[in-house]
Parts: sequence; C-alpha cells; structure tokens
Amino acid sequence: MESKRQDERFIIPIGPQHPALKEPAHFRITVDGEIITNAVVRLGYAHRGIEKATESRNWVQNIYLVERICGICSHIHATAYCLGVERLAGVEVPPRAQTLRVLVAELERIHSHLLWLGVAAHEAGFDTLFMYSWRDRETVMDLLENVSGNRVNYSVNLLGGVKIDIDNQISDTIREGLAFLEERTLHYLDVVSNDMAFLQRTRGIGVLTRSQADVLGCVGPVARASNVPRDVRVEAPYGAYQQYPVNIVLVEKGDLEARFIVRLKELLESYRIIREILDTLPPGELTTRMPRRIKEGETISRVEAPRGELFYFIKSNGTDTPERVKVRTPTICNMLSVLKLAVGHQLADLPMILAGIDPCFSCNDRVAIIDHRRKSPEIWTWQDLRQYGIEYYNGHSR
Amino acid sequence: MDILDKIFTLLIFPGGLFLLILGLAYEWVDRKLLAQLQNRIGPRWFQPLADVIKLLAKEEVIPEGVNPWLFIGLPIIALAGSLTAALYTPLVGLPPSHSFPGDLIVTVYLLSLLTLCMGLAGSNTLDRFSLMGATRTLTQLFSYEAPFMLSLLGPAIVVGSWRIADITSYTENHWLLLSQPIGFLVALIGLIGKLEMPPLDAPEAETEIVAGAMTEYSGRGYALFRLAKGAELVVGLTLVASFYMGGMANPLLFLLKTLLLLLVMVGLQTLITRLRIDQTVGLWWRYGTLLVLVQWLGMIIWKGVAS
Repeated sequence: MESKRQDERFIIPIGPQHPALKEPAHFRITVDGEIITNAVVRLGYAHRGIEKATESRNWVQNIYLVERICGICSHIHATAYCLGVERLAGVEVPPRAQTLRVLVAELERIHSHLLWLGVAAHEAGFDTLFMYSWRDRETVMDLLENVSGNRVNYSVNLLGGVKIDIDNQISDTIREGLAFLEERTLHYLDVVSNDMAFLQRTRGIGVLTRSQADVLGCVGPVARASNVPRDVRVEAPYGAYQQYPVNIVLVEKGDLEARFIVRLKELLESYRIIREILDTLPPGELTTRMPRRIKEGETISRVEAPRGELFYFIKSNGTDTPERVKVRTPTICNMLSVLKLAVGHQLADLPMILAGIDPCFSCNDRVAIIDHRRKSPEIWTWQDLRQYGIEYYNGHSR
Repeated sequence: MDILDKIFTLLIFPGGLFLLILGLAYEWVDRKLLAQLQNRIGPRWFQPLADVIKLLAKEEVIPEGVNPWLFIGLPIIALAGSLTAALYTPLVGLPPSHSFPGDLIVTVYLLSLLTLCMGLAGSNTLDRFSLMGATRTLTQLFSYEAPFMLSLLGPAIVVGSWRIADITSYTENHWLLLSQPIGFLVALIGLIGKLEMPPLDAPEAETEIVAGAMTEYSGRGYALFRLAKGAELVVGLTLVASFYMGGMANPLLFLLKTLLLLLVMVGLQTLITRLRIDQTVGLWWRYGTLLVLVQWLGMIIWKGVAS
C-alpha cells in the first residue's frame, strides 16, 4: 500500500463534508507539498429538484417555492420570478410596490454581504472579524424582521405587488440601523485595507485579471473586483432601479482584497439607496390585480442578486402552472474562476479563494446531462433515469 | 516518609493532578477571555473538565493502517513529557521540586516532546489531513524551536547558570523584560507557536485540514493530548513569567503574572489573522531568530565589557 501511494498524486479531498464548506460540494485538490497543482470540483450533492417541482404548482404557490432556493437571497429569487411572470401577464406593478421590492432587496444585500464578510474572515482564521460582523448583521436582520415579520425568507413579494408597507416609525428604525451599520462598515473597510496581518492573506492572492474574469464569465462582486463593469442594476435597470440609479463599484486589482473592498463599498452604496428610498417613497397602491392563468409565452428576467446576476427563464402554456422555470444562480458562473485561481496557490489560500466568490452550492445544483451515446430523447422517463443511474455507478465503481 | 513526600510531589502537588487541573483552569481562562474579546459569551468554568471527561468516556477508534502501539503510546508520552517538565519549573511560586545543573535544557526539550508526539501521531496515520497537519506541525517546530530556546537561554547567560532555580532566584530582583525585550517577545510568541494557538495555528487550521495531526484522534488519546497542552500552557507561562517578569516569590505573584501573560497572549490571538505556514517560517527565521541573535551578541559584548 505504501509503495502504491508514492506514485499516486497526493490528493486532498475537500468535501462533501469539511469544516471549510457550509454546504456539500466536493473538491479534489492535488497538492505538491503545500502548492496546489490541480483542482477539480464535483457539484450536485444538494440537488433538490425545485425547477421540476415548480411545474406541479400554480403560479402563486411557486413564489414560496422559489424563495426557498436560497436561504440568504430568498427575496431576490422571488423578485426575479415575479418580474418574469408579471411581464408574461402584461401587468404593471404599482410604483410603491416596485420601490419596496428594491428596499428589501438592498436590505437583503446588506445582510448577505455582512454574512459573507464573516465567513471569509473565518476562512482566513480571523475569527474576531467573523464574530463582530455577524453581531452587526443581527441589526439588519432585525430591520428585515421589522419590515416583513421574518428574519429569513421574508416573503415580501406577491404576483402584482408586495404584501408589506412601511410607515414613518419603521423608516425611522431603518435609518437608525443604517447609521450604526454605516459606521461599522467604514470600520471594516479600514480593517480589510489596513490590517497588516490580514492583508498578508488577501493582498495579491487569487488575482483574477480583467480578461480572465471576462472569459470565465464571472458575475457580480467577483467580476466587479476585477474591473469588469457587470451589474444588472446598472446595465438593465429593473423595477424601481430606474428611479434610484446605482453607482457601480469597481476595483481594479482583482485579488481577494479587492473582493473585500468591492463588497464593503457596495454596502455603503446600499445604505445610500435605502436612505434615498425612505426619503422619496412614492405613495399609492401596493398590489394590482393578477390573472390566475398566465398568457402563453416565454420570457427571461435578470436581476442582481447579492452574489451576482440571477437569471430566470419562465415559460407559460396558458394554464395556472408554468411549463418550465429555469434558474441560473451566480455561483455556477463564478465556480470556474475558483478552479482556475486555485492552481499555483497554497492549500492555505484555497478556503479564502473559494469563499471569495461567496459560493452557495445548494442554489446552483442542477442536472445537466450530456451523453453523446444516447439518441438524446428530450424527456427522460423515470425508468430512463433509473437505468442511467445504474449504468453510471457500474461504470464508475472502483 | 521521604518516599511518600516524593510521591505526593509527583502525583498530587505541584506536579500531577494539581498541574492537570491548573492546566484546565488556564485553558478555561484562555477560552473565556478570547470569547469575551470576540463579543461572545464563552464557556462555563467547568467546560474544559467536562470536555476531557467526555473524551475519556468515548470509544477510541483506532483507524486502519496505523501502528496501534504508537497510536496509543504517543499521547501518553506527550502528557508525561509536559508533566515531567513541570517538575523543574517554579510552579505556583514554589521552588522547583527537582533541580540539577543544566535542567533548563532538559525542560525545553521535554516541552518539545508534545509537539514531536503530535507530529508523529499525525504521520502515523494514513489520513491526508493528518499527514498535512503533521508536516506543518513539524515545520513549525523547526521554525520556532531555535529562537524559543535562544530566548530562554538569554536569562541563563545573564545569570551564568543553566539551572532554573538559580535563574529564578536572580530574576526575583531583576525584571529582564526591561533589559531583554526582544527575548521576552520571542519567548511569548514561541509559546503561542508551541501550543498551536491562533494566529500560529496553521498546523490545525480547521478550514483547511480539519484538525491537522489530531484528525484521527477521538477518545482517550485526544483527551490526553489536550491535558498535555493544558499542562504545557501552565509550564510555559511559568517559565516565561519567572524568567522575564521579575520572578515569582509567592502563589499570588504567580497567578498575577501568568494571568497577565495569558491576557497578552489572548490579545494577540484576538487581533491577528492566522499565518500561513510559509509566513510562520518566514517570521521566525527572518525576524525572530535574527533579532534574538543580535540581542545575544549585545549581551555577550556587554558581559565582556563589564567584566
């Protein structure tokens, strides 16, 4: 056994269960000493069949289903879905409802980015920053609870509107919370750009050049940290972002430090947008009438989730259930960059490079079957899938 | 009567049982302070003891492919090493219970036994996280060991004796911290590295290699390693405090000075990000060792000029 191990490469398995991973995924990291020479990922451990499940539920029930695709960015999933369905139905959402959607979306972005800051700091072994940023995150979660009644899965959206409203008292609470968060964010910005020990782990590590980010199709803060101006809120403003334009945050360097700075600066931008919304919230209705059956047709909707571009394809056949809902989450777009960047770095940098894209594995797990030997039937029956599974595991058994 | 007295010294006080309990208490102080500084509540006072009792009660799984004698024996040797080292140190402000010329060197080596055992325990298994952890543990050992030893020998040079009892009786009237600040700093950081506490915890960085060399240990073995670490924490703090912080003539001073030192260590743990293993090595060989050597050179020249 010993002699056999010598000519094999030394592979470190990260996952499916590993302290660095909050969700199951499997990375096979080939190392030479401490240096990573190859990285392979295998996803799919948390595939939940949500896309298929949408086809057996009606349009309204699906809001609550797609909200559960991601526990952190639940609101933005529901928003993307509602925007698509409303476009199919040809329904115009009242301005106040659109603005409230943006308000909650930005609060959710704050919550997501603060959560990420803590996780990324923990991966670097800087637990103090982890504890403090998660303590501050409680503030924004309390705000979200104030606004919607829930700390996660806010369930704010309805087809054709929103089900929450804010009054002066709530907006004062939000302003107070934001003042505290802004002070803390400026402090964290100072920490991540000036703390020497921390910079040793982030500056110049995992550099993703602009052309690489472009070629690998990175989205969201990862792309913006490499100076790629990619932000759906700016490129194709949806909902109330037309009235409340976003200043895109770009950093040139593309390393881990840049990813920290981009996300923290985006927090400041979110505070600004929320304040503007609170000052100029348009009056009016919260909902509008929505037909039970949606006209036949298909549409796409793109929104900017905290992690990057979230893409929905929705197809209706004129009944009260969708024919197809396809979701593409930002993590899958950024995953390639992890594998690309990991090679040549030290094993100790891998958790941070992985955390740098803010991965959300359960959201991105999909089935994609590419099998050139089959006569490619478009619809797989249960028997087909079962047979395929048996063949797969027979072929791959060790 | 003499024999009974010796057995009491070895097994109950100040060595043996007392030291183990003191180690657990200091581990609690460390965890509690760290938690408080990180805005957490932290464990209750009996938590380290409860952890050890739970671990001792657990089944010890001996993985396939290991040498079972080594697997069981290494934790025992590690614990024995740190308990023996305690016999030569002025625990609780009392004079060392055993002493002979040159016992400083023996103590320093006994203190390294824990790290060595952990490295061997890690490389004994086939587990990849353990192997990586063992490599890092030993790499770290080779990087901090020399400067740590040099920094402890600094006071020995001043006193002109390699006997801990002689050095501590001299330092009771002299704060070497003032005349040898570099040595103190290196000794303190060396102690953090020895105990694999953050920020020098790359050998057991959980987000990379789970628990490093300790990954395969679950029950009794892990408990013994933890007890050994606790004992080593106390012994190390005692050594550094009595050498550099004006000695310790009575139990009160002992408590005060070791806890003060622990507070400084916890502060460093709170403030600094974990260093990568190459950064750790760089830190020690680029700065630590050189600075201590420069200080040594100064001391030797000063001694030559003064005499």
